Amino acid sequence: MIEIRDLTKAYGERRAVDGLTFRVEPGRVTGFLGPNGAGKSTTLRMALGLDRPTSGAALVDGMPYERLTEPLRRVGALLDAQAVHGGRTAAGHLRWIAASHGLPARRIDEVLAAVGLSDAAGRRIRTFSLGMRQRLGIAVALLGDPAALLLDEPVNGLDAEGIRWIRTLLRGLADEGRAVLVSSHLMAEMAQTADHLVVIGRGRLLADTSTAGFLADHGRRRVRVRAVDPAALAALLAEAHPEAVPVGDGAYDVPDAEPGELGALAASRRVVLIELSVTHDSLEDAFMRMTADAVEYRAVAA
Amino acid sequence: MSATTYPLRAEWAKFTTLRSLWTTPLLAVALSAGITAAAQFAYGKVDDSLTDDPMLGLYYGLNFGQVAVVCLGILLIGQEYSSGTLATSLAAVPDRIRFHRGKLLLGAGLGLAIGLLTVAGQLAATAASVGIDLAAPGSYRALAAGVLYHPLLLVLCLSLTTVLRNQTAALGLLSPMVFLGTTALSAIPGIREVVQFFPDRAGLYALRLQDDPEIHYGHGTGLLVMALWTALAVAAGLRTLRTRDA
Repeated sequence: MIEIRDLTKAYGERRAVDGLTFRVEPGRVTGFLGPNGAGKSTTLRMALGLDRPTSGAALVDGMPYERLTEPLRRVGALLDAQAVHGGRTAAGHLRWIAASHGLPARRIDEVLAAVGLSDAAGRRIRTFSLGMRQRLGIAVALLGDPAALLLDEPVNGLDAEGIRWIRTLLRGLADEGRAVLVSSHLMAEMAQTADHLVVIGRGRLLADTSTAGFLADHGRRRVRVRAVDPAALAALLAEAHPEAVPVGDGAYDVPDAEPGELGALAASRRVVLIELSVTHDSLEDAFMRMTADAVEYRAVAA
Repeated sequence: MSATTYPLRAEWAKFTTLRSLWTTPLLAVALSAGITAAAQFAYGKVDDSLTDDPMLGLYYGLNFGQVAVVCLGILLIGQEYSSGTLATSLAAVPDRIRFHRGKLLLGAGLGLAIGLLTVAGQLAATAASVGIDLAAPGSYRALAAGVLYHPLLLVLCLSLTTVLRNQTAALGLLSPMVFLGTTALSAIPGIREVVQFFPDRAGLYALRLQDDPEIHYGHGTGLLVMALWTALAVAAGLRTLRTRDA
């Protein structure tokens, strides 16, 4: 399990990560969300002992990463799929990483097969597309058969088939009991992949919640209705949809309703509608609003 | 195989899986031995400057071969900075001391191998062309110093690149320093007094038989001066690795 505890990273006055606390629990996919520059990568780099925290700690099984012996057996990470030497072959790249932990050559073949790069094992990485590099980066993360995975924007550069593949892979890894943290700046993508969401903005924690809870709070569909005779509509809704919310000008928002059903209901009562539309409180909107608030808050504070 | 050797084995695997790395020592040996052989067979019997100090002719090719040694020292860590693999390296070996030790052991080992092959090749070429009298005082010292010069130079460049954290900057700084700067600077009186204590100048003096009245230390001490520079660079490199974010 990975535990981020009151983690802060300051560059001069600016705080890239600011008092962040959350956990990456085993057995589930945790989505790590935030706009670009929110501090996701810095957090992951500190979790891997690459950058030193200004204060606080990032712990792997209760220990700082630097103190782990054979860390790749505990944590597999993909930070930047482009951070590879183009002159090495895919197998050559994995070979030196395997050598750092005394892993057998068989393991290299296994992970290459797992990411679908067996046929490209002997090719130089400079000939790889970004999608192939992402797959190679995931092969590196899987090499030590780790209990936890930290993947920074692994979906970048993948095509539709690749995105579906990675979703299935992450699900499978979590189902095997591993702790999986996946960062992304795309809310909709994470909503489909993650069980749990950690949202940050400007280095601060904005939400730490189950995906289902986040969807329930922010992902509602509403049907807006307006009638020639507002009083008749009000009477109808009071009876059939007491949860409807008046939004002014005689219009009502009905959460989680079916527009067809509402239209039919109005017709059967001879209520003439002049508006019947569906609005989504989209996850992306909710996410933008949430992070925009953080930006505003910071701007005022500064 | 014990886990203590894993960092070194990772460094060896990095070296063998990248052509630009494993070809460089071959180039160093080929340049040093090849150019010495060419010079000795062509001019060794007619050009006094190659024979007044027999080691000057023997080590003639080293002036060219050491370019490759400097490049190898820079590349061993510099390509990790330029390609970004350093993050993966440190994620695999997070203990900076173990990581640094693996790099140094590989660098020193490769340097020693290059030194042995280079000196053997240059000695054989010299013996076969102009001949050499190994009974002359200081001959064995000059040969041993020729071997040791290579690991010292390689580790020095490796460590300075670690301090600079940038391959291009290291190439830009070290190549003119070692191949133009100190030679050109030592032609300027006054500056020469200082430049003779530069690592490459001091180290190369240990490769000569004849005394230079303008140099304030002995031949053997020259190699010690170079070793001192190298030790300082190693310490500075480790400090950089331990204090800076990767």
